[in-house]
Amino acid sequence: MAQIEQSDKGKKKKGAQKKMSIHVDFTPMVDMNMLLITFFMLCTTMIKSQTLTISLPSNEKIEQQQMNKAKESEAITLILTTDRNANGDVKKDEAGRPMNTVYYYEGMPEIADADGDGLIDNNKLKAEQFIGNDGKIQQGIRKILHDRNKLVLDKIEVEKARWRNKEFAPGNSAANDSIYQARAREIRNDSTLTRPVVIIKAAPEASWESLISALDEMQINQISRYQIDNINKTDSVLILDYLAKNPKK
Amino acid sequence: MGKVKIKRKSTLIDMTAMSDVTVLLLTFFMLTSTFLQKEPVTVLTPSSVSEQKVPTANLASVLVSPEGKVFISIAGDADADTKDTWGSEALRKTILDEAVTLYNKQNPSKAIQLSAQDREAFSKINMFGVPFQVLHQFLSMSQTDQDKFISDMTQKGVGIPINDNKDMERLNEFQIWMRAIYNSGNDNLQKAMKKGEGIAVKADKDTPYNVVHDVLDNLQSLKMNRFSIMTALKTEQE
Repeated sequence: MAQIEQSDKGKKKKGAQKKMSIHVDFTPMVDMNMLLITFFMLCTTMIKSQTLTISLPSNEKIEQQQMNKAKESEAITLILTTDRNANGDVKKDEAGRPMNTVYYYEGMPEIADADGDGLIDNNKLKAEQFIGNDGKIQQGIRKILHDRNKLVLDKIEVEKARWRNKEFAPGNSAANDSIYQARAREIRNDSTLTRPVVIIKAAPEASWESLISALDEMQINQISRYQIDNINKTDSVLILDYLAKNPKK
Repeated sequence: MGKVKIKRKSTLIDMTAMSDVTVLLLTFFMLTSTFLQKEPVTVLTPSSVSEQKVPTANLASVLVSPEGKVFISIAGDADADTKDTWGSEALRKTILDEAVTLYNKQNPSKAIQLSAQDREAFSKINMFGVPFQVLHQFLSMSQTDQDKFISDMTQKGVGIPINDNKDMERLNEFQIWMRAIYNSGNDNLQKAMKKGEGIAVKADKDTPYNVVHDVLDNLQSLKMNRFSIMTALKTEQE
């Protein structure tokens, strides 16, 4: 382990002190340290998980009905569904993405069937996917929500450019951030602008991921008014009708 | 021609520098690490663009397994000066007392008694999820047995019972726990819960919505309308 080497070069002088150099072998020490490092590396969580704060409306029924009435013209309803196989596992498409479908309609649903063919005459329901952005261009449901909230987003874009140039508080990045956040919040809640009200409804089999994706779209598109509601019969009828007219391949 | 002398060289390599490096790395990992908390089921949280971090103190997190079993974990104050009253372990004891009192008041015929050892054992558990009736049996087990018991999703006595109860006079067990946590007397925790940071719901990304819906619905009935959802950070291309 530790060696004491005598540095004698053949010539021994009497009375002279022997020069000693001490070598300690650190190899076992390194071994042990490496083991410990491995242990700590495996046991740590470097990435802390994130959270998404949401607030649901309170459970009182009257309040909800009033809310629903006020916003018929601005309302857009999203219905989330997920394709599952016989085992209940989420199906994946070719690209490996989970098969979440989001149906949406604007305003009030229509389920009139005047000609009596068993199909709704004017189904406003449309289907979209969560496919995010292609470069700078919004796709899928994001494009629809983006277009609906264009007034707000355009205004925020202006503020964002100012925030990037640090115009709010030159030299103070924290103040710059907070002023920008406050302004963005003000714009999001500006009632003089036409803003959509989004009602998110998830089907029972819809994956948790799809609901989070929908909430995410609210954040991305700066939509301040949204709520999570329960799916009802009308919604199920609309989806069945849609699937009858547009069978899945 | 003289003989070529081959110098004898020692093959020893000086490991001191190497050791220095490893010790530094070790120190880094030791200081930055937060240990993975033991959870009965591993869930893969969905990803989102939100960049809020999960608080480490004053948090009640609700874990929903894909089968619909519910588990709760409680973290108390991290401040050193309030540690004795509202640190995680002390807080858990207070909450356990509160919850048991609530339960016994609602079910006088099935009232449960917990010993001092049970309370002590409860304060050490990170994540729990058993019905009140099984609580004593669960807390008397050794730690390894507890882990084994709680990880078995097919067991009947695993998971906090939950239903779509709307009657606030007769709470279900999940609601009793959440109310007990809210009324624990720790102001910081209550404040965090009001802001929505104090409650975190965690579920697997493939879990059907109707499973999680029960939990959301119960929180809503308890007027805990604001809460957080645990997510992972979304990658650039998503």
